[in-house]
Amino acid sequence: MPDTQPAADAALLIRGIALGEAGALRRLYDAQAGRLFGIALAILRDRDAAADALHDAVLKIAARAGQFEPTRGEATAWLAAIIRNASLDLARARGREILSDDPALGDSPVPAEALERLAAAQQSSRLRDCLATLEARNREGILLAFVHGLSHAQIAARLEMPLGTVKAWIRRGLMRLKGCLA
Amino acid sequence: MIPSDPEVLDALAAEHVLGTLDAREAGEVARALPTNPALRDAVAAWERRLAPLADLAPPEPPPPGLWGRIEDSLAARPEAPVVPLRPSRFWQAWAGGSTAIAAGLAAFLLLRPAEEPRMMTVLLTSSDQPAWLVEAEGGGLRLASLNPRPVEQGRAQQLWALPPGATAPISLGLIPANGQVSVAPGRVRPEPGMLIEITLEPPGGSPTGRPTGPILFIGRLAPARGS
Repeated sequence: MPDTQPAADAALLIRGIALGEAGALRRLYDAQAGRLFGIALAILRDRDAAADALHDAVLKIAARAGQFEPTRGEATAWLAAIIRNASLDLARARGREILSDDPALGDSPVPAEALERLAAAQQSSRLRDCLATLEARNREGILLAFVHGLSHAQIAARLEMPLGTVKAWIRRGLMRLKGCLA
Repeated sequence: MIPSDPEVLDALAAEHVLGTLDAREAGEVARALPTNPALRDAVAAWERRLAPLADLAPPEPPPPGLWGRIEDSLAARPEAPVVPLRPSRFWQAWAGGSTAIAAGLAAFLLLRPAEEPRMMTVLLTSSDQPAWLVEAEGGGLRLASLNPRPVEQGRAQQLWALPPGATAPISLGLIPANGQVSVAPGRVRPEPGMLIEITLEPPGGSPTGRPTGPILFIGRLAPARGS
């Protein structure tokens, strides 16, 4: 289980931060900053903005470490949620001006092979299998939103589909995922 | 308005985690989270479901100067949000969870001649309740349960130490049913700042040699007051 190790180390460091252990935040930063910066960069596609998001996220981590409950989920997922929220807040504040035809997104922002990387842990392989049951455009819409922070309108423009259709598709896709993962 | 209908609420939580809510809706959800447990549970469940997707973004080193900027911001905060576990808090925690065992141990610790720098900590639960007394002794460690409670059936409690600067915790073995634990000198060198924790593991202990289950109790070894 290669994925449990970083999660266990991160959980330990988060508890260390909550207890005021000197250096725990720095060690967590050293271990996780590359991963978290990558998540922010995929959403914001601007290094300065992604650095702002990571800055805000680390302050939130320091302030909220005491609220982390290991029984509610893995530490790495807790950290990812914080950087995603910080990044999405920034993207919204900037009016999500990132265009859906942004060349930085590439032709296929989340190539199908990328899903192979999900296979490492059991939870990930289940999610991959469930994503595979969705229609291709529906799956791409969910990934564009989650990984690249695109709004409904941006996804609609990129997939060349009506906005209302995209909204309904994504909602239906999420509920099918939930049923599949249950 | 946060909906009360469970299905509508779940859909809102899903879109919140997916990131497709607009600024106004996202703000409403963020403000409602602290006081709405149903919403909080739904959001947490969606974060768990979708979490693996976050790692589709390739890791990328952050700008080298960023940590310095974070440190400046941390120093500029009006008040530190975390309370370091200092000996004073140790005694407070002790008073809070005082039991006959604790009182006896306290007398023992206070009366014992301080021939070596003493280090100790109280392992706290996630709700900050004192659960274990840990004392460094003769180059080893000694644990005593302050509030014995049954272990979840079919699971074991495993003791770990993380020396300052180390990246991986060292297993110090399983906690026996009687709650009395002595770690012989040599397995670990107790030092100030060392994290001590107990995790919930499968019977026989972690199969990986690293903690795999939730942290039940944790504390940081510190010089005892007066030493």
